[in-house]
Amino acid sequence: MTSTDQDLVRHLSEVSVSVELETEDMTLNIGPQHPSTHGVLRLLAKVDGERCFDVRPVIGYMHRGYEKLAEVRTYAQITALINRIDWVSGYANEVPFMVAAEKLMELEVPERAQYIRLILSEMARISSHLVFMASYPLELGAATPLFFALRERERVLDLLESVTGGRFHPNFNRIGGVKPAAGAGSTQRKTVQDLPAGFFAETREAMDRVDGAVDQLEDLVAGNEIVLARTRGIGVLPPEVAAAYGVSGPNLRASGVRFDLRKVEHYLPYDRFDFTVPVGANGDCWDRWWVRLAEIRQSASIIRQAIDGIPSGPLQAKVPKVIKVPAGETYVRAENPKGEMGYHVVSDGGQGPYRLKIRSASFSNISILPWILEGALVPDIIAVMGSLDFVLGDVDR
Amino acid sequence: MSGLLDNFWVLLAGKVLIIATLIPVAGMVIGFAEMKLSAKMQNRVGPYFAGGRWGWAQLIADGEKFFQKEDIIPEEADAPVFKLAPMLVFVGTVALFVVIPFGPGLSIRNLDVGIFYALAVSSISTIGVLVAGWSSANKYSLMGGLRAAGQLIAYELPLVLATVGVVVMAGTMSLEGIVQAQAGWFGELGWTAGFPFIIPQFVGFVIFMTAALAELSRIPFDMPIAESELVMGYVTEYTGFRFLFFFLAEFANMFTMGALAATMFLGGYWVPGLSADVLRVAGPIILSVKIFALVFLMIWFRWTFPRFREDQLQSLAWKWLIPLSLVNIVATGIVKVVF
Amino acid sequence: MSPSDTEQAEAGPTDPLADFAADVAAVVGGSGTASFGTVKVTVTADTWVDSISTARDRFGLVFFSWLSAVDWSNEVAVGDPLGEETAERYEVLCTLGDLSEGRRVTFSTDIDKDDAHIATLSSVFPGADWHEREAHDMFGIVFDGHPGLEPLYLPDGFAGHPLRKDYPLLSREVKPWPGKVDVEAMPEKDEDADPGAPSTENPGA
Repeated sequence: MTSTDQDLVRHLSEVSVSVELETEDMTLNIGPQHPSTHGVLRLLAKVDGERCFDVRPVIGYMHRGYEKLAEVRTYAQITALINRIDWVSGYANEVPFMVAAEKLMELEVPERAQYIRLILSEMARISSHLVFMASYPLELGAATPLFFALRERERVLDLLESVTGGRFHPNFNRIGGVKPAAGAGSTQRKTVQDLPAGFFAETREAMDRVDGAVDQLEDLVAGNEIVLARTRGIGVLPPEVAAAYGVSGPNLRASGVRFDLRKVEHYLPYDRFDFTVPVGANGDCWDRWWVRLAEIRQSASIIRQAIDGIPSGPLQAKVPKVIKVPAGETYVRAENPKGEMGYHVVSDGGQGPYRLKIRSASFSNISILPWILEGALVPDIIAVMGSLDFVLGDVDR
Repeated sequence: MSGLLDNFWVLLAGKVLIIATLIPVAGMVIGFAEMKLSAKMQNRVGPYFAGGRWGWAQLIADGEKFFQKEDIIPEEADAPVFKLAPMLVFVGTVALFVVIPFGPGLSIRNLDVGIFYALAVSSISTIGVLVAGWSSANKYSLMGGLRAAGQLIAYELPLVLATVGVVVMAGTMSLEGIVQAQAGWFGELGWTAGFPFIIPQFVGFVIFMTAALAELSRIPFDMPIAESELVMGYVTEYTGFRFLFFFLAEFANMFTMGALAATMFLGGYWVPGLSADVLRVAGPIILSVKIFALVFLMIWFRWTFPRFREDQLQSLAWKWLIPLSLVNIVATGIVKVVF
Repeated sequence: MSPSDTEQAEAGPTDPLADFAADVAAVVGGSGTASFGTVKVTVTADTWVDSISTARDRFGLVFFSWLSAVDWSNEVAVGDPLGEETAERYEVLCTLGDLSEGRRVTFSTDIDKDDAHIATLSSVFPGADWHEREAHDMFGIVFDGHPGLEPLYLPDGFAGHPLRKDYPLLSREVKPWPGKVDVEAMPEKDEDADPGAPSTENPGA
């Protein structure tokens, strides 16, 4: 073929391709006010019929400037702020920051305080996963699991409230340990109050109820043909892609990676307890749902073991009245319900950090949305977004 | 008195009055049943304050609330079409009431082509839905309307084919005739022994109920109104009284679809052992009980299942329900000829 | 929890984290330290992308945790200034982790404040895309080769880069903060009582 013939052939093929692509696609704006976006998230999707191309999330509607604020706060004041990052699992946000500050101060946190932190962190995990159990079937159209899940979550929140005084924003940690439980603040008489009376019995009962609810949810949702049709094979996330994007937590484990920060980062005494790390097989929406369900059971088991073995002792290490953290920097990360949450604290010896970098799980989790939603159907956008279980406060900080 | 009733116009006025009261009442009763039943399934109480501790006046209060809302028509919307759409949807429901037999000789009009007319007229709602979606000048409504049109058209076929089996067995398309065929199947025994067509036509019954759920756009087939995705689908831009039309039409349609299914498969107003005279009085009550059982089933499904995706819905209709119903017709025909 | 420290014990066991830091530093050609449980490896800005991709391949650090920057300034518009003078620069930090043993390394490099450029990591780790957009928003660092350095958090038309030390907090401009004096002092208490000790033996049972 001569070169002009080749050019002609190439030109013709290009012409036919461009004619095909001439159809108009619609730009669909999902959010920021939308029943399914877990907050103010905006997705700009180019839609051709029911298929999407080029999905772009627009975030920042909830940016509150935590990192800048942290530069003008003391460490104790920052604790009050950071449990609002991922507001569904309030307590779990505080722990890695406290551990970071304690590391820089080289403090030894008393055993009892560590156990209490662990119990409350696991309760936060149960609470967060139950919210997922409630809202995810609702997005698929099933309204009933919401009531079963949230009813048991109320018990857990009541327990959290009895100990810390707050359901969502406990502000319960202090540098060196935990706060003496509700009722013994600085403005009241100094009878130090530990865990409320009857806490262990109520917790055991609550964990039984949670296990019962998980069984009910499994019956109701897991065997349902329509749920399986909507979630199996949808939104498959290969483990290499997940790791490269920084997707962590149950989303990563659903893709088959058996990696749990509770087992490798020793920020709390998880090595004393016997628990398995549930892992999914395919990395689709169904696996992400199932991994969280299994994790609720594991958390309930950890809480029971912790209650049985909790040592007595002080609740807080001895710390000076005005806390100054020595110079240094460290990064501490924890297995939050949503994924890996970490704080990189740069301290120069003052009362507040020089720089606090907050690594939030949902930020990395939704950075995968453009990749995973490429070519997806519109109803599947909802299914995939819901299965990633993110919270906008965590994304935007 | 009977002379008065012979007057065509009086009779007509009476019939119109019956429909005009029956439809809102049926709609409200079913709506209330849905609220209370769903509450029971979800560990809640349901309506509690309106009307004593039972909340029976809840829907009346809701209706009143809708009446006094502002009538908003979006600026870009096609106003005459926008206003017409809810009426089209409602017409499909109202026209169905005409042929339902509440007792021997107790139907508004006993048409010879009863079932044919019923199915034909219920498809008018499809146009109403499509038109509502398009005229709202809203992307979400448009998507909802298109989804609805695809779904409703796809499920018309299984609906119709499922009834063909019944028609073949009964030998008539008139709904009264179908009930009488079930009642007097064993001709010599009169109406004391017969059997409802659900027994031989169980497959047809299942197909009919599935297609009816799809025609009603109820979960698991409520993609057109997928609340968590499209806000409210094709109904998004409707407010106040117009929204009430859609709302009421859905519940009234549940009643009529249930009535059709009860008549064709469960024996309608007939119960073995009762004579025709007793049935003239007790027939409506018996039919209502049967309708309510089917409505209960619909409500139960709605609160248990999530919704199908559009393409899964379509493949269910085209790949499963239609072939199954065709097989059903062939089998019924063979059995009818052989036996 | 006792932190690992950089000092080698006289005849004690070697610190595994310090060894790991030294290994990584040797491979990428930088300097490594392990302090307070965190391994930090400092490299030069022109070897940024190569060091990180080499470390990923050699040590299995496939998990991209985060990327951000620290503004080292001697004059701050808000908060407390540094205790001692330091060279003014941006320190870009990137943390990677592995998915088997939980080892992690924080890579660090310094770049000039006046001409804040560094190569993008988005070809090595796609997840770096959003983190770099955030760093660009907050500090004004330009990542060369980034597919689309648009604002991520800040609204359209926002002027300035908030996390720089010379960017003031509007609320502090409007009303000066009274300082840390408003923190209430702890009331007087017994010297014998342990602040964290419970009053009963095993409360909560």
